[in-house]
Amino acid sequence: MTLWRLEWTRLVRSKRWIALVGVFVFFGLLGPLTARYLAQILQFAGTDSQGVTITFPDPVPADGMAQYISNALQIGTLVVVIVAAGALAFDAIPEMGVFLRTRVPSFWRILTPRLIIPFVATAVAFVVGTVAAWYETWVLLGALPVGAVLLGTALGILFFAFIIAVVAAVAQWARSLLATVMWSLGVFLVLPIVGIVGVLKPWMPTVLGNALTELTAGASATGFWRSTVVAIVAIPALIWLAERGARRREA
Amino acid sequence: MITTHTLTKRYGSTTALDAVDLVVPDGSIYGLVGPNGAGKTTLLGILAGLRAPTSGTIAIDADSSDVAVLSDTPRFDRWLTGYEVVSLARNLTDPNGSPDRVAEVLDETGLHNAANRRVGGYSRGMLQRLGIAATLVGNPRLVLLDEPASALDPQGRREVLDLIARLRGSATVLFSSHILTDVQEVCDTVGILGSGRLLFQGPLHQLLVGSAVPRYHVRLRSDATPVAVALRKARWVKAVEVSDGGGLVIQVKSLADAETHLPQALADAKAAVVSFGPEEVSLERAFLGLTGTGAKQ
Repeated sequence: MTLWRLEWTRLVRSKRWIALVGVFVFFGLLGPLTARYLAQILQFAGTDSQGVTITFPDPVPADGMAQYISNALQIGTLVVVIVAAGALAFDAIPEMGVFLRTRVPSFWRILTPRLIIPFVATAVAFVVGTVAAWYETWVLLGALPVGAVLLGTALGILFFAFIIAVVAAVAQWARSLLATVMWSLGVFLVLPIVGIVGVLKPWMPTVLGNALTELTAGASATGFWRSTVVAIVAIPALIWLAERGARRREA
Repeated sequence: MITTHTLTKRYGSTTALDAVDLVVPDGSIYGLVGPNGAGKTTLLGILAGLRAPTSGTIAIDADSSDVAVLSDTPRFDRWLTGYEVVSLARNLTDPNGSPDRVAEVLDETGLHNAANRRVGGYSRGMLQRLGIAATLVGNPRLVLLDEPASALDPQGRREVLDLIARLRGSATVLFSSHILTDVQEVCDTVGILGSGRLLFQGPLHQLLVGSAVPRYHVRLRSDATPVAVALRKARWVKAVEVSDGGGLVIQVKSLADAETHLPQALADAKAAVVSFGPEEVSLERAFLGLTGTGAKQ
């Protein structure tokens, strides 16, 4: 048993991989379906019985991705934070922290598999969900631009890497698993609020989460370079912060 | 193996350790004794590198890879099997060692039959033994154990004490405990902590002898009071107390005096003697005397 295998085993035996893949695949299949039949669904729900008639424009392929991302981003972020916190907050149970810290002199040796395995699992789950949404969009609504989907997916993966780096930093400063989850989610609630300030919005890494929606709807890729740069700089900075937190921590 | 000099740890205004000069001889089994809150866990945490001292120095004559630590209530990921926990510990501490060592320590700790069960189903005692197996699997030179037998039933405690005793000669062991009989049974060196200060440190026999007051206990079938009156007149007797059960506690100037004169003195007092003998000094009495708990009681 190695530290890498430990993380893989955690993902498999605790069934966390099912939550990860499940949430993205579920919304990947549901999103385009909802976009295609939204008008019929609302009609079936009986909104016109109250004397109101809602007319929807005909759905376009980009709506399929927009529905997928709008749902998967929220629930997906929550699941990714919980899965990453479960791996990264290894001091939440002090006795387990002692087991690792007294046997592994380098913090990096403990941290690296706990960062990489949840990240790879998240990336795979996101790609599988995106492929499902892409295929179903093609079947129900029409083809999406391949370049936009690939770039949007890559930026989405970068966004999830940013999420995991935030959790890593928080985990080494928070005292419990719950605190790690709540503080991390707090960060992802605050960042979009900061992004309300127009001039700051393009710099927010949280913008990357919606890249798939916007790029497939025809937005220019150049609109994401600032948030990409911030994310690429922030990820190692957050991991450095995690290392600082681990050093000052006392069991 | 371990030497600390004026080791001090403060948490705000609270002093957890106050200028502790610990000396753990190489190859010894050192028992660290103290009441709750005395600073035992803090001291072990500092020696394990898990906490930073406020001041003072530490010298440990072993690489960090040769030091193994066991917390008082070991816990592991519930979905791992016992074998996997020990295998992980071996991989982290002795990656070049034989994989057979995992089965060997699981056998030594009595977990052979539970090795392939997930630790989520282990009892507290089994977790404690699993923690010990994970501690010993890397063949450490220095073992730091925090209350290793506190959670165990009598049989489990016996097994753990036997395991610790078997380490004598192959590793230096420092273990904290509030179970004095365990320390008295296994340790050759004792340190007594009280309110963060090291009140005594040295060989166990030195503590017991140093704390000994020469006393004889006499059980009588006849009335003890006239015998006590007669004995108080003897020059070699310092004090005589009649105990609750009708016996006598005789404090003498020296045990040699008592051995020479007491049988005759009892016969002269026409005492019906059931038994008599010197008071055995226990670690508990020495501990209570040092920490002041006995005086309060």
